[in-house]
Amino acid sequence: MTETTTRSLDDPDIWVDTPATIYDAVPPYPPRTEREAEFYHLRDGEMLLNLGPQHPSTHGVLRVVLKIDGEQVVDLDPVLGYLHRGVEKICENGDWHHAINQCDPLEYVASMFSEAMPVLAAEKLLDLQVPRRAEYIRVLCWELNRIASHALFMGWLALDLGGLTPILYGFIERDEIVEMLAAVTGQRVLFNYLRIGGVNGDINHDFMSRLADWMGRAGKQIETTTRLLNENEIFVRRTKGLGVLDRETALRTLCTGPVLRATGVPYDVRRAHPYSVYPELEFDVPTRTEGDSYARYLLHVDEVRESIRIIDQILHELPDGPVMAKIPRLIRIPPARAFVAVESPRGQYGCYAMSDGTDQPFRLRLRDPSFFNLQAVGLLMPGNLIADTMAIMASLDPVMGGIDK
Amino acid sequence: MSVISRPWNRLTLAGKIILPLLALMIAMPIILLVAWASGLLPWLLGIGGQVVTDNIDVVRFLMAATAILLFTVPTAFVIIFMEMKIIAFINSRVGPNRIGPWGTLSSVVHGLKVLVKEDYTPTGADPIVFTWAPVVTYLAAVLGLLVIPFAPGLVGLDMNIGLLYFFAISGLAVVGLMMGGWASFNKYSLLGALRAAAQVISYELPLLLAPVGVVMLAGTLSLNQIVANQAGNFWDWYVFQQPLAFLIFFIAATAEGNRAPFDLTEADSEIVAGFATEYSGMRFGFFFFAEYVAVFILSALTVTLFLGGWNAPLDVAPLLAMLGIELAPAAIDLGGLGMGLLIIAAFGVPLVILGLTLLLAMLFSHWGWIKSLVVAFILFNVIVGAVVGLWAYMSFEVVSGLFWFTAKTFTLAFVFVWMRGTLPRVRIDQLMGWAWKWLVEIALLNIFLTAGAILIIQELTRR
Repeated sequence: MTETTTRSLDDPDIWVDTPATIYDAVPPYPPRTEREAEFYHLRDGEMLLNLGPQHPSTHGVLRVVLKIDGEQVVDLDPVLGYLHRGVEKICENGDWHHAINQCDPLEYVASMFSEAMPVLAAEKLLDLQVPRRAEYIRVLCWELNRIASHALFMGWLALDLGGLTPILYGFIERDEIVEMLAAVTGQRVLFNYLRIGGVNGDINHDFMSRLADWMGRAGKQIETTTRLLNENEIFVRRTKGLGVLDRETALRTLCTGPVLRATGVPYDVRRAHPYSVYPELEFDVPTRTEGDSYARYLLHVDEVRESIRIIDQILHELPDGPVMAKIPRLIRIPPARAFVAVESPRGQYGCYAMSDGTDQPFRLRLRDPSFFNLQAVGLLMPGNLIADTMAIMASLDPVMGGIDK
Repeated sequence: MSVISRPWNRLTLAGKIILPLLALMIAMPIILLVAWASGLLPWLLGIGGQVVTDNIDVVRFLMAATAILLFTVPTAFVIIFMEMKIIAFINSRVGPNRIGPWGTLSSVVHGLKVLVKEDYTPTGADPIVFTWAPVVTYLAAVLGLLVIPFAPGLVGLDMNIGLLYFFAISGLAVVGLMMGGWASFNKYSLLGALRAAAQVISYELPLLLAPVGVVMLAGTLSLNQIVANQAGNFWDWYVFQQPLAFLIFFIAATAEGNRAPFDLTEADSEIVAGFATEYSGMRFGFFFFAEYVAVFILSALTVTLFLGGWNAPLDVAPLLAMLGIELAPAAIDLGGLGMGLLIIAAFGVPLVILGLTLLLAMLFSHWGWIKSLVVAFILFNVIVGAVVGLWAYMSFEVVSGLFWFTAKTFTLAFVFVWMRGTLPRVRIDQLMGWAWKWLVEIALLNIFLTAGAILIIQELTRR
């Protein structure tokens, strides 16, 4: 092997003599921080393993540099930003309506939630009253999308543990829901359905017939999928007691959603800071106290059941009326600031919006729950085996679109 | 040069293969004629015949090895197709359905695909070891088949230490995996290879200890003899005398073949593809084939040791004899028919087919004559095939043995596929703990229990 010299990434004029051949995963610049120096100093028997950005089970383009000693993970360094598009800045360049479809692909597994962010923010800034039928339809779509996302989560967790089948059962469930949402929104993944002041079009017969068809067997289908995993000794043994996140750490790392609720904190934005018509609906906030991967999985199952309960109530109480408030096409929002949040399948999806009196948002800061949940990875993984990194990562359920923004 | 190379380059791949073969076919008779006339060929044949008769054992070994090697390829194709279709069924997918009826040829096309794909050696790899690793793995998987008795008399080599030979050969597979993982110059490959080494060596112990009970009962290491000892009805099989050993052996065989739920060496969600990460083209194909050949061989060995090998589950002859029916195969003296055979073949067969056509056309009036004729022809062939098969099954032990052996082996292969479709993967520490804390101990216990039982029975029978 020939010795190579490389330009420093910090200062392109400096040539760094590195002993780095292709044998080394060490970056071709001197360590910039103490943490970096410590991380890239390999003790005897340790090696660095680049997990991603192209790897079958990192859920998108997450790169994790693992420092491993045999099969054991000693330390790790998550590297983000492979999917960074600068969505927050792009949102400032269009008007408020454009922000909706810019935020749409952020959380691409459940995009009904991320597209709600500029909508809810603008409504709060305008102090707009949304028609009740529109609110009900929104909640209906959100809960359907939550089930679609959770069904996929169960499959992914099993797939990362080596089970081939549950992911396809999850996709069957998701496909049915996505098809029925496509019947009303026209899109399967990036719905672009919510509008400032309501929703884009009323629900139609196709949607309702598909929904009624699915509701008849939804509970049974969930049972089939979960029975495949809950009664599987290998699955239970691999997830129970793995990646235990305690209550204080979860709160300190700002985890929300199922990750936080699995540690025993009953924090659900739908109940803690009610929005839309959730106060009128009857549902529980399931919690678990173990905080491990298995608890997170079971919590997702419980939440699916609660969502089915909510959908059932909505179908009984869906009011008549318009689905869009009477607002002008061009919205000029007076200078103000607002924070809105929804409970997405991954936790609290928040948006801090500033308006300066024009028709464009002055600033649209998005709080993606996956980003904060992913912080726990650094605390949970060291000391576990390589195989467990997948189980932990899958149980935190990150979506890289929202993390990198 | 371009006069030759330009038309040559215009040829497709098939043309480039077929054209030289055609030239060779034209040249071959001339060469043979000249060799025959000059006396070279008879002389060579004489020497060759002498050499063959002098070294008949070596020739027999080579012939058996070649036959086995050729046999593994279609077997692997069948099991790959089985896996694709069955896992698709478990996953509620359609599975392969494009090439061939019900997609049966898609695994063959997969085989052709790996043949024409680019064969890539990564920078920094050790080319020699990298190239030879798949060969070692494949040969280690294949050569174990030599001692497996497919049917009475149908065995590559009837060694008196057959079982020992099998374990010695199949233990070599891990060498190939280690070579591949080490020479690939990839961390995932290295992790996969180290996992393979740890796993295969750990599970070799229960895999070896479990059949000891069977060997004690049979009193021999020859697989042929072990199968012969299980003759009779299905309750004579060793699985009913050694149920613990059977379970241990099956679990250990799953781990030894690197199959789910013990497929840690190529855990695609953890270490990408394990030792095969850097392999492409036919080198990957060898690893891939070796895995499925290993599934077949481990199923075959389990069948041989525990499930009666080529023995039918029920011996119907004594039952029928009790009822007064002598089921001797009808001795058909085809030679005695003389010209009659020709007449039957020339007129009887078309007449029967035409009769069937008439019958079908009357039964299904909307079919039309052509369709009736085709269906009648197929039906006739099916009936004749069934009759001939039944006759062969009743007359020849080889056919009946082969039938039962294949049926049992593919049933077990189905179980392997079924497990892969259903179960998640175990973790490495659980895997090793399972082998060392449970399987080895239970296997040892089984040996002691079997020895004790044999001693007690001997004491009782002596009195």
